[in-house]
Amino acid sequence: MAEGLIINKMGKMMKNIPNLLRNKKLTSPAALVSIAVLVISLAIIYGIGLAKAPVAATPTISPIHPVFVLMDADGKNVVDSGNPISTMKTCGECHDTAFIESHSFHSDLGLSEYAETAELDSSKGLFGNWDPITYRYLSQSVDEKLDLGTAEWIKVYGARLVGGGAAATSRAGELIAGNQSLLGVEKSVIDPVTGEVIAWDWKKSGVLEMDCFICHLETPNISERTTEIQNGKFGSANTATLLGSGVVERDGSGFSWNKEAFSADGMLKKEFVTIQDPINNNCAACHGEVHTDVNEPITISACNSEYPLTYTTGQIISAQKISESGVNISNKAEINRSWDVHAERALSCTDCHYSINNPIHSQESAGTSPSHLEYDPRKLTIGEYLTIPEHNFARGQSAQYLVDSEKKGTMRRCESCHNAQVSHEGWLPYSEQHMAVLACESCHISQLYAPAMEMVDWTFINANGTPGSLCRGISDSGNTITDLVSGYKPVLMQRDNIDGSTSLTPYNLITSWYWVYDDANGNKRPVRELDLNKVFLVDSGYAPDILATFDTNADGALSSDETKLTSDEQVAFLASKFAAIGLVNPRIEGQIQPYNVNHNVSGGDYAISDCRTCHNKDSRIGSAIQLSTYVPGNVKPQFVTGNNVNGSGDVEVTETGSLVYTPRNTRDRIYIFGKDAVMGIDWFGAFALLFTVLGVSGHATMRYLTSLRIKKEPAATKAVYIYEVYERFWHWLQAVSILALVVTGLIIHRPDMFGMFSFKNIVIIHNVFAGIMVVNAALSLFWHLTTGEIKQFIPRPVGFFDDAIIQAKYYISGIFKGEPHPFEKKRNQKMNPLQQATYFALLNVLLPLQILSGSLMWTVQKWPEITEIFGGLNYIAVFHSLIAWLLASFIIGHIYLTTTGATPLEAMRGMVTGWEELEAHDDEHSK
Amino acid sequence: MNKKPYWVLGLIGILAVIIVPLIIFWPKSTEKADDPWAAVPEHPIHTSHADIIKGPFETGQEVTKNCLTCHPDAAKDIMMTTHWTWESKPFVVPGRDVPVTIGKANQINNFCISAQGNQKSCMACHIGQGWQETTDGQEGAFDFSKTENVDCLICHASSGYTKGTFGNPADTVDLLAAAKSVAAPNRAMCGKCHFDGGGGNGVKHGDLDESLIFPSENVDVHMGKNNLNCTDCHVAENHVIKGRLVVDNYYIEPQEQVSCQQCHAEKPHDDERVNLHTESVACQTCHVPAIALKDPTKLSWDWSTSGQDLGDDHFTYLKIKGNFVYDKNVQPTYLWFNGNLDYRYILGDTIDPTQPTYINKPSGSIVDEKAKIFPFKLHIAKQPYDTTYNYLLAPITSGLNGYWTTFDWNNAFELAQQRMGLKYSGNYGFTETYMYWPSTHMVQPKENALQCAECHSDNGRMDWKALGYSGDPINYGGRFDNK
Repeated sequence: MAEGLIINKMGKMMKNIPNLLRNKKLTSPAALVSIAVLVISLAIIYGIGLAKAPVAATPTISPIHPVFVLMDADGKNVVDSGNPISTMKTCGECHDTAFIESHSFHSDLGLSEYAETAELDSSKGLFGNWDPITYRYLSQSVDEKLDLGTAEWIKVYGARLVGGGAAATSRAGELIAGNQSLLGVEKSVIDPVTGEVIAWDWKKSGVLEMDCFICHLETPNISERTTEIQNGKFGSANTATLLGSGVVERDGSGFSWNKEAFSADGMLKKEFVTIQDPINNNCAACHGEVHTDVNEPITISACNSEYPLTYTTGQIISAQKISESGVNISNKAEINRSWDVHAERALSCTDCHYSINNPIHSQESAGTSPSHLEYDPRKLTIGEYLTIPEHNFARGQSAQYLVDSEKKGTMRRCESCHNAQVSHEGWLPYSEQHMAVLACESCHISQLYAPAMEMVDWTFINANGTPGSLCRGISDSGNTITDLVSGYKPVLMQRDNIDGSTSLTPYNLITSWYWVYDDANGNKRPVRELDLNKVFLVDSGYAPDILATFDTNADGALSSDETKLTSDEQVAFLASKFAAIGLVNPRIEGQIQPYNVNHNVSGGDYAISDCRTCHNKDSRIGSAIQLSTYVPGNVKPQFVTGNNVNGSGDVEVTETGSLVYTPRNTRDRIYIFGKDAVMGIDWFGAFALLFTVLGVSGHATMRYLTSLRIKKEPAATKAVYIYEVYERFWHWLQAVSILALVVTGLIIHRPDMFGMFSFKNIVIIHNVFAGIMVVNAALSLFWHLTTGEIKQFIPRPVGFFDDAIIQAKYYISGIFKGEPHPFEKKRNQKMNPLQQATYFALLNVLLPLQILSGSLMWTVQKWPEITEIFGGLNYIAVFHSLIAWLLASFIIGHIYLTTTGATPLEAMRGMVTGWEELEAHDDEHSK
Repeated sequence: MNKKPYWVLGLIGILAVIIVPLIIFWPKSTEKADDPWAAVPEHPIHTSHADIIKGPFETGQEVTKNCLTCHPDAAKDIMMTTHWTWESKPFVVPGRDVPVTIGKANQINNFCISAQGNQKSCMACHIGQGWQETTDGQEGAFDFSKTENVDCLICHASSGYTKGTFGNPADTVDLLAAAKSVAAPNRAMCGKCHFDGGGGNGVKHGDLDESLIFPSENVDVHMGKNNLNCTDCHVAENHVIKGRLVVDNYYIEPQEQVSCQQCHAEKPHDDERVNLHTESVACQTCHVPAIALKDPTKLSWDWSTSGQDLGDDHFTYLKIKGNFVYDKNVQPTYLWFNGNLDYRYILGDTIDPTQPTYINKPSGSIVDEKAKIFPFKLHIAKQPYDTTYNYLLAPITSGLNGYWTTFDWNNAFELAQQRMGLKYSGNYGFTETYMYWPSTHMVQPKENALQCAECHSDNGRMDWKALGYSGDPINYGGRFDNK
């Protein structure tokens, strides 16, 4: 699961607190008991019938986990003490819980890398890395204004905190419990009523220990645990996780342990031991929508925090076919693929995100083993592993959640399991080159079918205190069942991989705008939600002066258009309001967060496989993604830095006022045939071609006109056998090849103009003709060398320019007057000086360069480094098209000049039959 | 001067030099040569009989005689088939010294139980006419050798034909009009009996019901999308129609049975992993994920509650029949199946009334290499048995003074003793019986076939341990993996 997702879910959770409190009624003990009674009586009624039916879905009793004693924080059996359970003590009987806590980024959350800073982020994890989507800010110790103290941070993010680590340890690295030297931010909270800073009583609240049950029970009671945390009862949160399992019940404000669940020696009875390896649902509890029942149609609400995987990226982990889902997806009936092919093929989260010292997943991370060793069999035994299971799980290379970054890239990647060369063999040309440039996801996650977050605007909050926001991939912003879900195409951005390579990888971009100010220490801090509310809102809604300023249509309420900050005056007005409550230099900033898309992979059928999807003017590679329909405060947002994503494209405002990001692949040194034509070169080439066409047309016209005027008997001719069989053969083969190369090259160059051709087949034809042309050129060179005919191609230095001028004069004037050719064409002297010069340049310069550049483009597949020496495809490909234009121009001129023989078609006939009628020059000229 | 067009040779040479490498490097087509349509038989164009057949006809037998004037061998062909005999060839079965035949003529099922003695209504689906409720050899007994007793119209009349009692045409039928309408059988004509088996639409099979007369693609890909006819797979030659019903047979020769491989390759999938399944999983298992897709089928039948005036409802209770459970979109039961039966209940077999009795038990197990996991509809009944002799009873129901008239079980069993010779002790009870019906129609296209997770997941539909695996073979390996 993408690591960044936790954060967003919590953002909404925070705003859902009133709802959660309301829900509490539903799960109160009395309600639970009455539901239980109802269930039991129904069970009795249907007792006989049920006896044969399979047992209803109750947690599976662990087949292997032994019975154990539940201990409190003092190490006493909870049945005796009646205290809340201590997971560290209980599980610590056998497992090294201290090791587990200290080797778990789910616990640490950035605490170990925490460093106070004048910038916003004090760490790279949830503890300290400010996320403008969830907004609340973990205050640093020197901050002038307190936003989140440690205790309130736990309360706000509690629903998704595993506990331990940042939740139980001070920033100095000591246990919070009983600690006398806590910092101010660690022992203070803001009184929700008065807004004043008050002290937090850790002794009363207890600390939030790492909760093993969240992941190691099939049905942990997460809602009760969350309630406990939000009520500030950290110490008993883990006990609340067990509610409903029959082991413990609520008893007034405390808990009572069910004696029936324990054997006489104080051990938990076997039938209550439901400890298990984490299953998908455990991960789903915090990370996102994982739907395991293929027969129950998936329903989601757009950009709803209940489905955080969908919230940031639209990813849904399910084997269900999209056509079978309950989501109103555009053209759903046709989408006959599962949401995620790996879920479809029965993989679970932990198959890829496994514990990295789990011996059954032993996999060498690249570069750590000696090169001669294929496999190192020295692994932990199962027993050792169960004592010290590493709880840093194998992970990918997401742009968020950079804590403990050396663990990045430990996860199985596509290539760890798949042999892509085999599966792409035979249909994907240049497969190695494609895979060097593209992440597998770029083609195999071409479309997300669920909506995802697009932008969050905290610059002007709604009357209920929430930020403005936009959701992409849904026809309306609402969440009604009729809203048509279109999903979206993720944008492709260059990612720096752990191994040093780069690849284009799909991302969703979430842009956020917010107010920041400089606090008393000169540190930049986001304006607290508290202060936003103070400025914008009064009890009944918007503050009167806000309403007066922004209610342009004077209807007494602010429409969504009126809450968009578009003018400088509006920004200045709000800035003055913030200044009035003591915030220095209040200003709007914006940032763009890339969220990587790695799940919802499709098999080959739904992957991009049409070449023209990318090799075209409207290439998928350059597809823009909308960042927002408007630009709050006209502030251009910046990509967050310090991650592995290269936002090298352009963030631009369109004519309609929306903000889009357009990738610019050539800036990442990626040249895409069919997309990245350099317009200057094409204009130059087209001009050269046009110039030639105009030149020969003009010349031909004049020849025709003068021939009408000057009625002159044609010169006497004689038939000469001038071209040998082989000469004619290689000439015509070369003629066909070059013509075909020019035409196919043009199609590859501009596929958008030649939609009727299959790009892939044209590339193959081009390559075959290139091969024929090169071999033909080589053989012909050999023939010319061995026969000595090569001499005809070499201009004789002496008198060359004189002769050339004579020939040029002939073309400029003599030819119109019907004069004979100045140089006689003979068997052993076929070419005039101009031809010699032209062919000399053509055969020694243009053709070799074209062959060389073409070869480099072809071999980029196998030896990209050679192409890199010459500047990569960015230069080579452009050069190749330039020469192609020049060659095309040559062909025009060449064909035209063949008409200057005795009769217009005579030279052509000569090249076909070998015999040409040539002007009969007197001997004197023909020396 | 050389005027001969030798240059043409050069042109050919140049073209050859270009075309040969292009052909060599042209991407090879990966299309498989598998063409299922090749095996679908071509049907002759139908000749309308409207102007050929002249009446008048007084009886069904007269119609048949008329047919036989042009199709002289038709009736003799029919009389070789089980459509006529309602009995299988003799099988040597466990526990019996003499070979037995199995069929509607002499054995029972767990729906209406016995056709024997109840010819009055059951013969509505016999291919003959005039089969009376008499024992063979008695006065007025049905003469199996009389060709005019064959009923051509039951299969060939495309409109206006219905059977009444004892397999005779219903009184309302205009025999001439029906005879003029004859044609090659289509889905509706076969379906008249095969869709309505068990006494109504979809009752018996689950995978065969009237929704297949004009099915959509999603009901059956063959009959829906491709509009195939029954006889495209159940190929007929001289009225011998391919395909045997396993519930009325013990062993079936593979060549007698319809199979997917008549048209499709053994391993037709693109994915090797899916093809690997074909060694242990029948095509039907994935491609018939559910039966009774449109019309409900009967899943259980409790005869013990019959005879009461509880208010009749076709889908829940009938006084003459008892309680039922019907359901739609039913997930089949999965068993190893090699095409044969391990056991078929033969009248007189003793039972253990405390255990469910298998009317039929498909043969196969995980160690049987020819067996594959196959979908079945399981029909569970509570039906009468003799508590003294411990065997299943076959009541006279629709027959003269049968249970459906008198609602007296003792009388129905005594009549059966008289008419069928099945001894009745005077004591009866009800016992549970299982009958398995292979699910092989309502085939789904690949888009609707089962996906991995529908079997290979925590809540998958296979009971791996019951099938003999250590656990999900995706984790524990398949049965051929360690060889």
